[in-house]
Amino acid sequence: MSDISAGRLLRSNTRGCVVGCHVSQPAPAFGSMINIPTKNGKVFGLVYDIHIDDDGLVRQLAAVGSVPDEVIFDNRINRNVPVEMSIIFIGYSIDNKISHLLPPRPPLSLDEMYICGPEDLRNFTNAGHFGYFRHIISEQDIPAGELLSAHLQAAGNAQKVGGNTNWINEAIQEIIILLRDNHELMTNVLGAIGDAFPAS
Amino acid sequence: MADKNTEKTNINSPIGYVVGGGLKANLHVRLTVPAFSVQEGSFIVIKSGNWQFYSIATDLQLGATDPRFADDIMENRLPPSIVTLLQGQTLYTNLVVLPSLMLESGPELNSPEHTVWQELIDSGEKEEPHPLPVKTVPVHHSKAFLANKGDIAEIFGKETVDGNFTIGHTREQKHPVCINLDKLIQRSSGIFGATGSGKSFLTRIILAGLIDHDQSSVLIYDMHNEYGLDDTASDTGQNVIGLRSAFGRTKVQIVGLGGSADIRGISPDFNLTLSYEDIMPEDVEMLTRELNLRETTAATLDALVQKFGRSGWFNAFKSMKHGKMVEQDGKRIPAPDSVAFWANQNGIHPMAAEGLHSKLKRLFNKSYIIENPPSDSIQAVIDSLKKGQHIVLSFSNFESDLDYLLISNLLTRRIRAEWEKMTNLFRNGKSSEPRQLVIVIEEAHKLLNREMAAQTTFGTIAREMRKYYVTLLIIDQRPSQIYDEVMSQLGTRICGWLGDDDDVHAVLSGLAGRDALRGMLARLQPKEEVLLLGWGVPMPILVRSRRYNADFYKEIKHSRKMNFDQKTAINALYPD
Repeated sequence: MSDISAGRLLRSNTRGCVVGCHVSQPAPAFGSMINIPTKNGKVFGLVYDIHIDDDGLVRQLAAVGSVPDEVIFDNRINRNVPVEMSIIFIGYSIDNKISHLLPPRPPLSLDEMYICGPEDLRNFTNAGHFGYFRHIISEQDIPAGELLSAHLQAAGNAQKVGGNTNWINEAIQEIIILLRDNHELMTNVLGAIGDAFPAS
Repeated sequence: MADKNTEKTNINSPIGYVVGGGLKANLHVRLTVPAFSVQEGSFIVIKSGNWQFYSIATDLQLGATDPRFADDIMENRLPPSIVTLLQGQTLYTNLVVLPSLMLESGPELNSPEHTVWQELIDSGEKEEPHPLPVKTVPVHHSKAFLANKGDIAEIFGKETVDGNFTIGHTREQKHPVCINLDKLIQRSSGIFGATGSGKSFLTRIILAGLIDHDQSSVLIYDMHNEYGLDDTASDTGQNVIGLRSAFGRTKVQIVGLGGSADIRGISPDFNLTLSYEDIMPEDVEMLTRELNLRETTAATLDALVQKFGRSGWFNAFKSMKHGKMVEQDGKRIPAPDSVAFWANQNGIHPMAAEGLHSKLKRLFNKSYIIENPPSDSIQAVIDSLKKGQHIVLSFSNFESDLDYLLISNLLTRRIRAEWEKMTNLFRNGKSSEPRQLVIVIEEAHKLLNREMAAQTTFGTIAREMRKYYVTLLIIDQRPSQIYDEVMSQLGTRICGWLGDDDDVHAVLSGLAGRDALRGMLARLQPKEEVLLLGWGVPMPILVRSRRYNADFYKEIKHSRKMNFDQKTAINALYPD
């Protein structure tokens, strides 16, 4: 587990949350798995959106024809509005027991969020049998194909390092099973996965 | 029993699992192996709980969870590994199987429940399990397997059991498939197949099995001189061993039709000639179509029998002159030894009598019908059969339908009368049990078509089954021409490739699951595969038939030796 905080929780519900961070913080990439420590465990999630909102000054600066570099730099570093990351919850752990169900209660505002390292990834993805895929697939408002392919890349690499080279095939097979009655979404998701693993 | 169960245990990997179906609609098995590793006709075993279901594969159907997955070619859009995974989950093959038998196999081997179950059987509190007609279905997701050797032996019997004759092997795994010859001869049977489907070789194999088993005498009406002596195969040019060459003259005798008969230059063991007294009116009536006889024939024949008796009518009628006239009082009238004169005297229309006389000239001129034959050769044939010998009746140069119909029917009528007499004596306790007789008839539709079946002795034999210890083995390429009632009485049907829909329909008449089996018959591999059907086999099965060659005879001699040794060993162990 990375010890460096990647932001603090702004708002949440049982299905997901939004985390804000300073632009200079090491923000997780799209598809990264994160965890938010709770009283006796962790809530796990995937980053499915990163958005940078404007403020009044940005609007004014954008309207100016020429903006000096130091002004742009100053605005980016010292902005008041945080970088926001949307997280979909995919599971939780209590007393180190991992579950792929949604967390029983959402984390609280200003809880810190951490990026999961390879060991966390392996532990979480080895638990159960890909039950967390259903949260991703059933969510209408997230780019499921892109998110799954980004996740498979990260988790597949972690599993490969851990010696499990077949994990990626098992994961893709599970996705196919879950989506085999939804041709449109299946085509979309597999197209994204195919782009992520062109030589697999 | 424990050994039997061990043998039954299927060590094969499952080929799929049950996903649906029923007794009427057949079962559907989702294949987990490539479609080409299972073929139509494969013998499939499905395990469900304490039961094993024995089935035959009748169809393979391609399916998709969504038709669009089948329509889209994904290879151009996705990496091969993902395409493979996708196709594995969305495209599938369903195997349609016709369940026929079910057998209680008991709880899982080596489990405490199995031990209890086995003890109940051993103590006689529970009946020894045996295959039953299927009356229920396996549950969803029951695993399906290709039958192993033990499964085949469980249903069709072991090769080593006396009376079991290996007719061929399963196609995929080459396990031997037996038919029980004792059961085969209990009812009339049929061997069917289109021309060139290997019917004659198959018949030789069965006949060799019957002769070797020696529990019945066999009379073969060998219309085309195929079975008795060595021959050369028309397609391969190889030597084909004749039954007499294989079994010797003491067991198989060749009878030639006519006083000077020879079969491809070889003299038969004895000749068959008919006396005038042998020809009965019903023999002539049976030739109505062949001789183009009129409706008046029956009345004319009846008058002849009334006048000259059943044994004298043929000679008397033959002696009459056709059209001979004499002058009397200036008028031309029929001569006293003419047909017309006899007709006038006996109330028959002269034209009808002369017409019949004219048409019967084809019989009068047959050289094998003579007034005083040197011996009663029909009785000689019957005596040989009663003694346990096997007869191949060769028609030598008399290959017309007229000869075949007349001789086969006449001889069979005499034989049946003899066997009926022996049976009645046996039932009255005055004689020993008659020896079973199998009469083999080729081109059976000529004798058993709708018109003839009611008239010929063959129709009677086919209907009465084993009542008088005589059954038929009919060989034909057009089973659709055989009367339905006769077809429905056939116990065992062994069928090679048939192309005609009507023939396929006829072979399957009266059998359960015929719709499922219909396509299979039309897709049998000629000269290689046969379908065993009917009462004489526990369930339909497709087999690759044995090759008929020198090795075949070596094998059956070897198996006989094996059986002998086994019996000797058992007797030594259990003298009481």
